[in-house]
Amino acid sequence: MELVPISIAAISALLSVVATYLAVRSRDMMSAVVFSAIQSTAYALIYYVLMAPDIVLVYVPVSVGILPAVTILLIKKTERYEK
Amino acid sequence: MNFREVVIAVSIALMVLLLAYVIEAGGLGPIAPQRLRELAASYLLNTYNPWNIIQSAQSLEAVTAIVWDYRGIDTFFETSVLFISIVGVSLLFRGYREKAGISNRGLSEIVKTSTKILSPLILISGLSIAIHGHLTPGGGFQGGSFIAVLLVLLSVVFSLDFVVERGLSTSRLLVLRSLGLLGVLATSVALLVVGLLTGVNAYIFQNMVREGASLSMPPWFLDRPTGGTLLFFNVFEALAVAAGLSLAFIVLSLRREEVEEALEKGEWYE
Amino acid sequence: MSDPVSLLFTVLILSLVVNIGISLYGVFTRPSLVKKFISLTIFSDTLNSFAIALGFRRVVEGYPSIAVLASIPEDVSELAVVANTAVDPVPQALVLTAIVIGLAVYMFLAGLIVMYYRHYRTTHVRPAGGGSIE
Repeated sequence: MELVPISIAAISALLSVVATYLAVRSRDMMSAVVFSAIQSTAYALIYYVLMAPDIVLVYVPVSVGILPAVTILLIKKTERYEK
Repeated sequence: MNFREVVIAVSIALMVLLLAYVIEAGGLGPIAPQRLRELAASYLLNTYNPWNIIQSAQSLEAVTAIVWDYRGIDTFFETSVLFISIVGVSLLFRGYREKAGISNRGLSEIVKTSTKILSPLILISGLSIAIHGHLTPGGGFQGGSFIAVLLVLLSVVFSLDFVVERGLSTSRLLVLRSLGLLGVLATSVALLVVGLLTGVNAYIFQNMVREGASLSMPPWFLDRPTGGTLLFFNVFEALAVAAGLSLAFIVLSLRREEVEEALEKGEWYE
Repeated sequence: MSDPVSLLFTVLILSLVVNIGISLYGVFTRPSLVKKFISLTIFSDTLNSFAIALGFRRVVEGYPSIAVLASIPEDVSELAVVANTAVDPVPQALVLTAIVIGLAVYMFLAGLIVMYYRHYRTTHVRPAGGGSIE
């Protein structure tokens, strides 16, 4: 009964590890933003499984919506590739 | 991103899996507790409790009750931090002037049409989340960020000029933002003012009847519970968060022509 | 292996610990300020996830419910039923405000990085200390 939701949370957590590593390591900032958004989506799934609907409702617009937009704006105004 | 990085990332995830297996086999793993902490049990028992109204917030949702009633002063100061950082963003780019007609092309017609269909839905769901914050999961912060997403979407898809021409210039957004904060302030001292005028004992951030203070916000509107102050707090906070976040986004996305004059004067960052 | 749920919960917590490590590595070693910014947002999200995981609990049978009363209670005993199955609402209330305030502070930080780039024409950290990029 509680096995299915918890395994969804564990798989999303493993996915977030992969996405975090790629976001930190990639030299192209644009793909770093995309990986960071994937990590945020995995976290939103974890919050949903851990029975925190309030956090999901605030986390999805903030961390999947506005924060990547702000970061892309920042990259647009500065430089795209890390030296 | 090359193949080598992906392999390293996947092997880190595998390492986590195996390490978890080892820890669990040794009987050392973190186990989610079965019993609830006493503080949480007290909040859950009293969040909607007409039989013990002295400790109740009359809100069906425990999280909103904690955010705006039991820990109301904390949230008020967090709202002030939000206000201060928005002021900081506009201070960094001070001296800018919004100009119309630099480029108002935006994205393609397909994206514009689908955004036109989507935007009323986003607005209505954000308002619904904010207004029903004391009944269902949601509240002022959630509804406000939904509406801020709408403004970000409009300024990206239809260009900045579209948003400014529709009357949402940064100065007006700052006024809306301050109105939200003032509304939160007015709601928090409303019962105190009434108590001072009528000579009855009352507290700041008072919601329902408390010990030695008989004043109370209306707990029911027609046949629905309102949660007293929680309804007003949620509406004002949604206004404050939506206006504040979209103000910060618009200031950050100002174009070169608009900040150029300020930069030429700019001895202030030398 | 007696309890698979406990193993999966351990995987969840350990992944968060590893994420803290990776994002701190990003903050400390990557030279670009934008990369530091991205790593810092991941770091704060992970800390918030820890708080949420702290509020999770297991119930005797079935799955825990959200900390919301589904209907207006008719009797005091219904409240005890909710308190027996619901998760802890206190960490959720703390994290809720932290996420929105965090976004506003990150916007301020983004403005600072734009100003840094206008001054030094690069987002590399070294010119701030008087050194050169090479």
